[in-house]
Amino acid sequence: MSDAVLSARGLRKNYRSGDALLEVLRGVDLDVAPGESVSIRGESGSGKSTLLNLLAGLDAPDSGTVEWDGSADTGARRRAAYLGMVFQSFYLVPELDACANVLLARRILGGADAAARARARGLLDQVGLGGRARHLPSQLSGGERQRVALARALMNNPRLIVADEPTGNLDERTGNGVIDLLLGLCTSANTAVILVTHNAAHAAKTRRSLVLTAGVLGS
Amino acid sequence: MPWYLHLALRQLFPTGRRFPFFTVISTLGVTLGVALLIIVMGVMGGFAYEIKHKIVDTEGDVQVKARGWIADAPAVVRKVESVPGVAAATPYASDHVLIMFGGKSIYPELRGVDVGSVLRVTPLNKYMLVGTIDDLDDDSIIMSTQLAASLGASVGDTVDVYSPLTLWKMGQDAVFLPRQAKVVGILEIGHQQLDSSTVYATLRLAQDLYGLGTTVHGIDVRLDPGVNEDDGAARINAVLPQDVRAFSWEDSFSDFLWVLNLERNMIFFLLLFIVIVAAFSVMSSLLISVVRKTREIGLLGALGGRPIHVAACFCAQGLFIGVLGTVAGLALGFTALAFRNDVVLWITRVTQRQEVMRRFYQFSELPSHITGGTVALIAVMTIVISTLAGLLPAWKAARLKPVEALRSE
Repeated sequence: MSDAVLSARGLRKNYRSGDALLEVLRGVDLDVAPGESVSIRGESGSGKSTLLNLLAGLDAPDSGTVEWDGSADTGARRRAAYLGMVFQSFYLVPELDACANVLLARRILGGADAAARARARGLLDQVGLGGRARHLPSQLSGGERQRVALARALMNNPRLIVADEPTGNLDERTGNGVIDLLLGLCTSANTAVILVTHNAAHAAKTRRSLVLTAGVLGS
Repeated sequence: MPWYLHLALRQLFPTGRRFPFFTVISTLGVTLGVALLIIVMGVMGGFAYEIKHKIVDTEGDVQVKARGWIADAPAVVRKVESVPGVAAATPYASDHVLIMFGGKSIYPELRGVDVGSVLRVTPLNKYMLVGTIDDLDDDSIIMSTQLAASLGASVGDTVDVYSPLTLWKMGQDAVFLPRQAKVVGILEIGHQQLDSSTVYATLRLAQDLYGLGTTVHGIDVRLDPGVNEDDGAARINAVLPQDVRAFSWEDSFSDFLWVLNLERNMIFFLLLFIVIVAAFSVMSSLLISVVRKTREIGLLGALGGRPIHVAACFCAQGLFIGVLGTVAGLALGFTALAFRNDVVLWITRVTQRQEVMRRFYQFSELPSHITGGTVALIAVMTIVISTLAGLLPAWKAARLKPVEALRSE
């Protein structure tokens, strides 16, 4: 797929545990088209998060390649502009209010000007937290924190969002709301999504649903 | 503002918390260190500054001395006064004497001065409590308060003065009566060493007592304002014969000044350890912060933050604490210096030791003088040390791999 926002070929990753060699990924191939939503399911310990870290450029595979928009550059600088990340534990900076947390993504990229601040406030409006922009993470509920994290992931207009079990710490109703919001916003922004989840119902909402079994990705 | 500086500030001063515990405690340590440095260096500098002024006020900027005595003092004075940058010169004779009054005796230095010219060189009148230098004649002396108190003499009393010459002649079985002198003035220079050992008389009386004839021991010189003492001494030396030399007051008291400087430098470096200890406190707090915020550090990496910027975030916290502590320390230090004499007065009142303080302390007031250079040195060293304290935590933070940091519990 030549115009893929993400293209992974033959990803392998092993971990050593004592004398034993754990083969977590055994040659994973994946292409994600612009605006496409892909879910990856699998049992706990199947290597979903490991795969996501490789795809996000946070970790290096033992073999295989990851390309973003045809480029093998997956370094920190490019990641800031190209990729948005959503985590199970939200990972908001506790000293920053909701708006500043969203804006942090742009600060790291550079150029947190008035327009960026307006965009941060606009994104908080879109996730339904316009009135809570000045609230600290400790003053927000779990669902609200995840929505702030979602706004932060979208802040730099990324081509791709990787979400690692974003509903893992939320109740079902709140989780459904977050997934709907994530997929809806990405669709409207034509941003591709890779969603790692245990939840079959959430996976069913994506355009393509994949399963990671024994280190191999399949439908 | 770069994100790492913004985040460093926010971590030190989180939204909605006016006095974050870590920031207050860390800053307080640095503040106390800086304040103590300012106070101690200010007082030490005050001693040196006051001593310089007392020396210059009583002996001039430059002293001209010969190997033996200066024979033709008026000619040398004229020569010295012709040098550009010299404001005035005055001859003196100085040696120790024995003064007796009412069965009590003291052994001060009697300094004979030329009443006509001495005030142009040494402004002694500003230290006079009773009388003036002009009241001196060849049968009178001016004593310091401490000497007068020791003898129990006051203005109007007549004291017996024995010079070394008198005592030598008495040793030769010659009949030699002491010189009687009337106390016509009391002065207080404000320096315990000078106030406990100096008596002023006319130059002629001193010459008689020491058997100098018309010769003198030396010539005190006042330079024009702004003329460097060493330059002035060099210019004077250029017109003097080889056996008569001019010395700046710093040359004359070089050993004393060296000891003063040594004391100041030693105390500076000893007190600097307070700042270093405070910096260790900052470092340990930041190290704890790195451990506590491991997943946040991972997040910053995941969002595209470069390791060097993550390091800068923690290093900047050390810098900000250093700057804040330095500013607060300077304010506290200068405030303490401003009220130093009130504090000393209060302590002596409470302990009822005002008299002891006055008698044994070198100055009547606690002096203070601190140069801009010393303040800058304290500020820069403190900020550098605090910033360095952030380096180890910064290095640890920068070494964290995002993927491992995000996984940490």
